[in-house]
Amino acid sequence: MTAVAALPDDVARVSHELPLRANLSALDNIALIPIYQGHFNVAESNRQAQQLLKQLGHADIATLRDPDMTPAQRFITKLARALILRRPRLVIDRPGAMLYDVPYPAFIRHLAAQAETTGTWEIFDFSWNQALYRA
Amino acid sequence: MNKLHFKVGLFAAASLLLAGIFIVYLLNARGFFEKTFHLQLAAASADGVAPGVPVVFSGIEIGRVTTLGLNENGGIIIRTEFLGRNAKWLKENSTFTLDKPIVGGAKIRVDSPDLKAPALPDNATMLLLTSDISKEIPALVERVKAILANVEYLTRKDGDMNATLANVRTVTGHMTGEYGMLEGVLGSPEKARAVTDSLDKTRALMTKLDSMAAKTDQWLYAEKGVAAQTRESLAQIRLMLNDAQSSLKKADAMMANAVAISANVKDGTQDLAQLRAEIDDAVRKANDLVNQINQKWPFARNPEVKLP
Amino acid sequence: MNFLAASIESLGAKVVGWFTVGYGMFAFLAQAGLLLLEPATWNRATFDVVVKQVYFTAVQILHVFLGYALVISWLIITIILSTARDFGLTEFASEMAIRVLVLELLPFLTALFVALRSGSAINTEVALMQVNNELDALAHCKVPPMQFEFLPRLVGGVVSVVTLAGLAGLLALLMGYLAIYGVNAAGFEPYTRTIAKIFDFRIVAGLIFKCALFGLAVTLIPVTAGLETPKKLFMVPVSVLRGMMRVFFAIVAIEVVSLALKYI
Repeated sequence: MTAVAALPDDVARVSHELPLRANLSALDNIALIPIYQGHFNVAESNRQAQQLLKQLGHADIATLRDPDMTPAQRFITKLARALILRRPRLVIDRPGAMLYDVPYPAFIRHLAAQAETTGTWEIFDFSWNQALYRA
Repeated sequence: MNKLHFKVGLFAAASLLLAGIFIVYLLNARGFFEKTFHLQLAAASADGVAPGVPVVFSGIEIGRVTTLGLNENGGIIIRTEFLGRNAKWLKENSTFTLDKPIVGGAKIRVDSPDLKAPALPDNATMLLLTSDISKEIPALVERVKAILANVEYLTRKDGDMNATLANVRTVTGHMTGEYGMLEGVLGSPEKARAVTDSLDKTRALMTKLDSMAAKTDQWLYAEKGVAAQTRESLAQIRLMLNDAQSSLKKADAMMANAVAISANVKDGTQDLAQLRAEIDDAVRKANDLVNQINQKWPFARNPEVKLP
Repeated sequence: MNFLAASIESLGAKVVGWFTVGYGMFAFLAQAGLLLLEPATWNRATFDVVVKQVYFTAVQILHVFLGYALVISWLIITIILSTARDFGLTEFASEMAIRVLVLELLPFLTALFVALRSGSAINTEVALMQVNNELDALAHCKVPPMQFEFLPRLVGGVVSVVTLAGLAGLLALLMGYLAIYGVNAAGFEPYTRTIAKIFDFRIVAGLIFKCALFGLAVTLIPVTAGLETPKKLFMVPVSVLRGMMRVFFAIVAIEVVSLALKYI
């Protein structure tokens, strides 16, 4: 697992070790990044965040906070947060720890099909879960 | 509309408004929007005066000392500052007195006896009196007045003294002994001497008053003497001294007369004794006064003037 | 001998601990101060957190706080007035009441109020953020936690304490007037004179500065105490406890120093 933590800075990570900010809504959690990184204004950032959630097919979770989300919704918010960073690599670290109640390889594949991303998505998982990905 | 933002905005606006109102109120109370009025006080000594010493009028602070300095002649100049609205209490006949109470800090007291008098111009220079001198001036005036009234009363045309003397005149008797007729009048040499003592005292007082009047003149007309309002008070005292002097002269003449004329021994005794007491009293008061004036007024320190 | 050495060692450890805490706090403050000067800090997100902080620290408790300030002011003014009357010092009563309340007691109580309510909340939240890795997540997303989380709290705390103390002070001035002169305008002039006499520039600036320091103390200390928390959930209460102790000492120290500067 240290391998994931030691990944360089230009890798966007989705990991259960990087939680959402608990007192912010999903939208705010995502919009935070364009505000601070792209120096967009709030309206524009919120629009970008909302669009991303819509792309991922979950526009309805925008106002939810972390404790009110299902694992899948939480994962999508984290994924959106990683996507909006617009880094060349995206690493999903042990999806099983976050998506424990859904067949996650299919779920992630579905999401990847919806999201129009340029970079590659990499999934780091335990070797004993390898069988799950052979669909 | 964001309710949270609205509430915070309302709170911020209300707070800023209140703060603004308070600041304007405070600046107004502290005279920020008013012209300040400056006054310089010339004093012989700045003992106890420091920047920040309040200037009070009728017990209310109306200004403050800002700086202390010296002029070319080594005199002390105390600069004071007043709010524009308080300048109306400063009149040309105001007196400025340095008060150093036993308890509490020093303060400069303003007395404006006549509020209809013309106002002081900005940056005027006034004399600062120290309280032990100037506090006495009104009191002295009062006392001189009282004595004057007393003497006046004694010597008025149909007054006690005249009546007494008339009485005395009707009294017949023989002049015997050292004190002549008075011994006869009063019954004993000691009593008679008391009356002549009174006379002597009266005469001595007259001489004193005379020299004092001269000194008052010297003070009054000296260059760089005193401020106008002090000069007025002094002139008033000078007049009173003159009055007192002439009245006493009259009394003296009458007493001398009384001694000279022959009188009925028995009838005159009571009247003369009372008269003596009254004159003695007047003389004593006048003497006290003169001594006090001599002690306290600056010209008493003039070594050229020899007291009688 | 062993005992002596041990106690000296423990004392030394304590002193070192204090210095570490103090250094950490001032380093944090310096960092925050520098960020404050950077234009990039002043974006809408930071501002929103400031607004939120002000809302939770000042606006939400405003009615409770003003009621409490009203009761305290009324009591203290009445006590001072009746005591002054008994001793024949009525002319000093209004000045005394204003000095005690507006300059000393109300800012102090405001700081305590905000410390108890918001300071402890901030301490807990920062400790939980630290324990839950939320700060790491923010760091991963390159959202600076200082600008996004901490600086707005400091600014909000300072703004809140200054404003609340100011409002309480104004309320106390009004109460004082009503207690001394009643509901009429007759006392306006002498009261204004008293106020003008007390509030010179130095006093007002000192009061605002003191309130700002209070506001800083009740937010900066909880934040740093929260950041010190080890990543164990059970350490959160300990962190809050330590932070609150430090806040209390800091408030008392600020008050004592301000009194000493004013009257010694």
